[in-house]
Amino acid sequence: MYRIRFHGRGGQGMKTASRILGSALFSTGFEVQDAPRYGAERRGAPIFAYVRASRAPIDERGVIQRPDLVLVADDSLIPVPAAGVLAGIDAHGLLLIRSAEPAERWRERLNAAARVIVLPITEPLLDRAALPQVGATCAGAAARLLGVVPAEALAAGIEAELGGLGARVVERNLAEAMAAYQAMAPLAGAVSEDGEIAATDYHPPDWVDLPFETARVSAPAIHAALTSELVDTGLWRSLRPEIDYDLCKGCWWVCSSLCPDGAIHVENGRPVIDYDHCKGCLVCLAVCPPHAISAHTEAVTPCAESS
Amino acid sequence: MSEQETRYRSTRDLPSLHLLGTGTPMCAGCGGLEALHQIYDQLGERSLILNAAGCMTLLAVYPYTPFRGSWLYTAMASAPAGAQGARDALDILVAQGRLPPEEDLRVVVLTGDGSAYGMGLSATSGAIERGLDFLYIVYDNEGYANTGQQYSGATPHAALTATSRLGAGFPGEKKDLFAIWVAHRPAYAATVIGAEPLDLARKVEQALAIRGPKLLLALAPCPTGWDFDPQRTVEIGRLAVQTGVWPLKEYRDGQVVHTKVPRERKPVEDYLRTQGRFRHLFEPERQDALIAAWKARVGTYWASVET
Repeated sequence: MYRIRFHGRGGQGMKTASRILGSALFSTGFEVQDAPRYGAERRGAPIFAYVRASRAPIDERGVIQRPDLVLVADDSLIPVPAAGVLAGIDAHGLLLIRSAEPAERWRERLNAAARVIVLPITEPLLDRAALPQVGATCAGAAARLLGVVPAEALAAGIEAELGGLGARVVERNLAEAMAAYQAMAPLAGAVSEDGEIAATDYHPPDWVDLPFETARVSAPAIHAALTSELVDTGLWRSLRPEIDYDLCKGCWWVCSSLCPDGAIHVENGRPVIDYDHCKGCLVCLAVCPPHAISAHTEAVTPCAESS
Repeated sequence: MSEQETRYRSTRDLPSLHLLGTGTPMCAGCGGLEALHQIYDQLGERSLILNAAGCMTLLAVYPYTPFRGSWLYTAMASAPAGAQGARDALDILVAQGRLPPEEDLRVVVLTGDGSAYGMGLSATSGAIERGLDFLYIVYDNEGYANTGQQYSGATPHAALTATSRLGAGFPGEKKDLFAIWVAHRPAYAATVIGAEPLDLARKVEQALAIRGPKLLLALAPCPTGWDFDPQRTVEIGRLAVQTGVWPLKEYRDGQVVHTKVPRERKPVEDYLRTQGRFRHLFEPERQDALIAAWKARVGTYWASVET
């Protein structure tokens, strides 16, 4: 059985990627499961979707614990523990990262047992309108890495999933998917199936036993205010707004009032962005009268690496 | 409201201290959150929010809350009934001397359009009829956005939704909730939008000064459900006002007054073109009849206002 996980951010088309690959595998004659997994989070938040495919009926259920192939649409998710990108990937697995950085650097950084390859990004993405096509790219790459999906089946999967959105959408996504399919040609079939998982293989999570406590002790936060500030929604951000204070005119009532999240506060008459919570919507950039705010791609900071 | 009566004479008078917590799971660029955080700047911790099921149910997912005061979650149709119960309980506590009058709370319903225009209408009508002293905030994103933008009673004509995907989009018409409220002769009713913070601040100030049933109906541009880049939330909100699609008005003392009349209305197309849910009006072929119907609807409204 093949087990594939797609990791990305809400809005990058990971659910669509799993649907496309699932349809393509199904039309090739596989039994297929595909499912997205996300919580209450929205566009920008870490999500993943997964696909199982087998020539025999699939009895396995739930999230994939031991993937054969993991695709990461957004490399800024890798250091986010909540995204769980590396969960369960072992020496048998293949990790594909969409990144502007070379595979060698990711191998050093991650020191992972799995084989690490990179689908190169040549330009930073400053037009988010192209984001949903990332899903098609990932589906195309996955199809070729499995080595069992013909190009026609991939095209049929895209038509099946996106046909309702019109010919232009299908055309754009098909072009992205086929480009990735071609790019992965040297690695066709690099992913191998893993066997059935028996109940005896199941490793229970590392539960921590907590003694029973009174409600006042175990749920103290229920009476607390403003606890949402403990949630770092800044991790959702793919583009980071930065204020150039040489250009800022101090009209804080514009950006600070209009920031949907209230993540721009006012200090000494100047707006200050709270990067722990800014989701990177860039409304501030769009409304700033003197154009003092610019957008920068979020990336893993090189200074965090040791030699 | 005349300038003498308001604390908010210019945008410089807008609150620079934001009271609603950051770190909520609303989408990046959420027009509803943008309006809510501006309203909450004046509402503050002495409030009890009754949240009808919808996107904003997710604001307070235990143990996290962005509020400084109390919050209660109700089923979709029940928030006004919950508000009645909360108001009665607070009144009894105050009357019995168990709650000092200065610690009394303002009772606030927070609801999306699915509930406000549809499921919750009966309970709302009853609460207004009983003269309940409450503030009723609607974030109107014109569909059941929390579950993937199925159409609601607030969906505008011809918009594509998850349940009206084909051909000409949603065949129905957007209900006029403001008129439905005004027909009840409430204490106060106003339409607002987060993209116009000064107009919004004055209306919140006005509503909080009056006892009885009060409506704040906020059009909430929704990047996810309306299909546009999150940074355009304010631009689209301003266009809704400038094209006359979303009239800013208030009802008090038996009169409806328009608070921001566009001197020269921009073409309705300028608004429609910004959103993927109306793209089929322009591509692949221009749908002249549907566009003309939109123009006629907006024109007829303003003709009735201007005479």
